[in-house]
Amino acid sequence: MKDTKESFVTEDGRHIGSVIMEMRNITLRFGGVVAITNASFDIREGEIRAIIGPNGAGKSSMLNVINGFYHPQEGEIWFRGKKRPSLRPYEIAEQGIARTFQNIALFKGMTTVENVMTGRQLMLKKNFLWQLLRIGPALDEEVVHRRRCEEIIDFLEIQAIRNSPVGSLPYGLQKRVELARALAMEPKLLLLDEPMAGMNVEEKEDMSRFILDVNDQYGTTIALIEHDMSVVMDLADRVVVLDYGKMLADGTPDEVQKNQAVIDAYLGVEH
Amino acid sequence: MDGLIYSILGDPFVQMWQMPDFFIQVIWEGFVSGILYALIALGFVLIFKASGIFNFAQGIMVVFSGLTLVGLHALGVPAFVALLMTIVVMYGLAFGIERLVLRNLVNQPDIILFMATIGLTNILIGGGQWIFGSETKSMITTELLIPTGSSVWEPGGGLVIFQHIDIAAAVIAALLIVSLALFFSKTKVGRALRAVADDHQASLSVGISLNQIWVITWFAAGIVALVAGIMWGARSDVSFSLQIIALKALPVLVLGGFTSVPGAIVGGLIIGVGEKLFEIYWGPLLGSGVEGWFAYVIALVFLLFRPQGLFGEKIIERV
Repeated sequence: MKDTKESFVTEDGRHIGSVIMEMRNITLRFGGVVAITNASFDIREGEIRAIIGPNGAGKSSMLNVINGFYHPQEGEIWFRGKKRPSLRPYEIAEQGIARTFQNIALFKGMTTVENVMTGRQLMLKKNFLWQLLRIGPALDEEVVHRRRCEEIIDFLEIQAIRNSPVGSLPYGLQKRVELARALAMEPKLLLLDEPMAGMNVEEKEDMSRFILDVNDQYGTTIALIEHDMSVVMDLADRVVVLDYGKMLADGTPDEVQKNQAVIDAYLGVEH
Repeated sequence: MDGLIYSILGDPFVQMWQMPDFFIQVIWEGFVSGILYALIALGFVLIFKASGIFNFAQGIMVVFSGLTLVGLHALGVPAFVALLMTIVVMYGLAFGIERLVLRNLVNQPDIILFMATIGLTNILIGGGQWIFGSETKSMITTELLIPTGSSVWEPGGGLVIFQHIDIAAAVIAALLIVSLALFFSKTKVGRALRAVADDHQASLSVGISLNQIWVITWFAAGIVALVAGIMWGARSDVSFSLQIIALKALPVLVLGGFTSVPGAIVGGLIIGVGEKLFEIYWGPLLGSGVEGWFAYVIALVFLLFRPQGLFGEKIIERV
């Protein structure tokens, strides 16, 4: 299955498209510390791709490479059929890659709606003088984007907190607002860094449902990092396993679960 | 003892009551200098909000912009063209600071950036003296069509004098503050500025370029400095000693909060009016010169009881 370039339908009827992003032989170093060693994998359109591994395996570093916070010393990144030059994070956002953060990075002084509206930042094109006057084309533009944001807010069931400052919201809801902001960018690829970290079972179930719904309804390609193995096995179409910055395995959840190297990394092995 | 208490708690108010026209005059004078303090403090707040840097160079930026304007005019450039050119110079300054200083110091501790702005101050002082010379110059007030006369108001036989230049200062400062407030709350760039003030990583992830925002913030602070330079310059003169008034912005910031635009305005007015009232009515008790230290004592009291200022964000450190 790894070699096919065309789209296909999985056993449970999910449509997986062609390769949208490809990481080729990525190596990332911080001084003498090697965070990622020669990792290669791809992400296909429409799939949910999980990156798993023990603490310090280089998962977040990998996400930071994809989103441009880090620049690998070696290797190539191919996105939508083109080799990507070294870009700044905001330029990569312009290319259609959105993300959430492990430790939640919201604009705490703003309300939920305002936070989600920042996701439309790149799509607001009208001159600031028009915006200042709030008339004509700028107003129309604002209304269009505002409506889209409200739809996303409804979709993620956070209407009740739409005008609350996000700094005061409970953790689980903040995670959801962050997802809403990323979705407002209408990304081609959505990166989720531990979307369920620190949540209780109920919140995890909600978040899993939202991730599946986003993938299903908007057709968004998702790459996520997660620690909870049962969640990963339920959500992901394919899984990359990292350990100490090296690739251990790449395949469907079933294949990965049976992989001896993966079992050793997770359960420990006698040396 | 009774005499002392009377002269503190009684006599000043009796004077205010007996000469209401003079009292209004004092309030007005205080109000105008308060607005100008607020303008300088606003420059600090803009940069502090967007990048967490306490810009020590704000005071010298006021002087530098004023000198550029006057200097260009002295070369024979018409006043309003000189004004436009000065705005371009302030943009160039913002751009240069971002390129040469901020970009190279990303992720450094705040104290390093603060030190960098002290360095910047010295460069601007040295550069300014090299280019424009160190002698005092007068602002091109009439050329910029700023009115210079005065109006007299006679409420009930009293006498209150309003200098037109003070009225102009108040109106222009108010306009500037309102347009900045609108810019911040209503435009895309304003939203981006607030986003950057809150979280750098998240801003990048939604496609906001920090570098671009920093240039815009420093440019906005430069414009505020230019307006402050013109107005202060018109009331006194343009000289390097003007940067001392920037120190007055410190108590204003402590009072209003370093991150609050309304705080800068209210703080400026409280300090401006407060120090004038205190100087006139209580000053004689302590000998004169109260205006020089009153603001700092107020700031000290605030630091003891409300360190985040009137409008600042509450300082919460997790341990």
